[in-house]
Amino acid sequence: MTRATFHGFLRADGAVGIRNHVLILSVTGLTGPTARRIGRAVAGTRVIATPYGSGLFGEDAELQRRALAAFGCHANVGAVLVIGATPPHVERIAAAIAGTGKPVEALILDECDHDAITVTERGMRIAARMVREASRARRTEASLRDLTLGMECGRSDPSSGLVANPLVGCIVDAVVAAGGRAIFGETIEWLGAEHMLAARAVDADVAEAIKSAVLRRERQAVNAGLDLLGNNPGATNIAAGLTTIEEKSLGAIAKGGQSPIRGVIGIADTIPGPGLYLMDAPAYAPESVGGIVASGAQLMLFTTGVGNSFVSGLAPTIKISGNPVTAGRLHEQLDFDASDVFERRASLHDAAARLQAVMLEVASGTLTWGEILDEGDDVISRLGPAL
Amino acid sequence: MNWNATRLASDDNVATALQDIAAGDAIVVITPGASIELVALEPIGLCHKIALSDIATGAAVVKYGQCIGVATAPIRRGAWVHVHNLRSRRAQPA
Repeated sequence: MTRATFHGFLRADGAVGIRNHVLILSVTGLTGPTARRIGRAVAGTRVIATPYGSGLFGEDAELQRRALAAFGCHANVGAVLVIGATPPHVERIAAAIAGTGKPVEALILDECDHDAITVTERGMRIAARMVREASRARRTEASLRDLTLGMECGRSDPSSGLVANPLVGCIVDAVVAAGGRAIFGETIEWLGAEHMLAARAVDADVAEAIKSAVLRRERQAVNAGLDLLGNNPGATNIAAGLTTIEEKSLGAIAKGGQSPIRGVIGIADTIPGPGLYLMDAPAYAPESVGGIVASGAQLMLFTTGVGNSFVSGLAPTIKISGNPVTAGRLHEQLDFDASDVFERRASLHDAAARLQAVMLEVASGTLTWGEILDEGDDVISRLGPAL
Repeated sequence: MNWNATRLASDDNVATALQDIAAGDAIVVITPGASIELVALEPIGLCHKIALSDIATGAAVVKYGQCIGVATAPIRRGAWVHVHNLRSRRAQPA
């Protein structure tokens, strides 16, 4: 029987982290460089810095607040230093993070004489103390039901739909069956396969939400005069053998396994409960992964055809390919080589058991290539214009 | 181990190349049922698609048991199926 436990950091709110990051969270573009300076100066920190600020309004302002707070609240984060320009914005985000019970401190330009050097000095002291305290945490046993998986595909080719995505789908079904959570987005890559997703919806409202989310993106593309050919699938996908969005989508949805679909949520919305959810969000990997990680995914399963080095900064991202040429090339990018399934030297079932073992090792602390090579970033989508 | 392509569903009219295939090569397609043999009319790259039957202009190209688009030119059995002879049905201008 496949092992189903790992060792994680139990949080005050009951969540289980698979990493214990000290996060320097810059909530306005003005303080990004200062946050990055503190991050470079204090080993053991991670930086998330939005380039945007007070020009945002409406849905965009709400999404930024929600996602920034969610990064701070994330299970893989043990402590947070929030840095921003003005008190209400910083305090609102810091308060949301404090609600999880983890240590959070705030630095505000208005209260530091608008001096980046003052923010840097205070920030370094706070971050250093947080790292020391965070290093005292110890892992305890946790199980599949404590996991929230995010699934992503990037630089796909036909091997993705043949091998890597179905393999990830097997893991998703195992985690969901154990009471855990899973989510994938990339709405435009449901196009042509939305009837199959809708057929798995738990009720008619969810089925309708799936179909209308796809139709909305399809109309946006048509109204913008975009030909999806060359955009999605892109030139790299096409050279690798993909042809139409329908073909790409039918391969892409395999990463969601066969589990029932419990709902469709917005970018960076908290996943409401156990089971498989969809996120109505852009397909571009940094935006998609950012929204999924903000929704609570501790671990990303990221499939690729020809290779894709992008990973989340907060959520260890396991790179998987079934393409034998890619697997022979990207030794320090792929965490899991599934080319033996492509070449029919191994069954999907056996490979899924091996992938689950790798996933649980990573959940317990084994580093991914993306972590070792520091390819991680966490970004938030934009929806409309700014003032 | 003499197969070099795979068909994913029994009603698919295309197969996926599991190796680079040269023009004139024999193609042995693993399928959910019995294997199919045909000859490649042109080179087919790894992961690219081969027509398993003649496909008329406007007819559905089927993979995963689903329509992935329509043929924009007549496609012969053994030919390469790609963006030069296959087009999406979706997100098309009115």
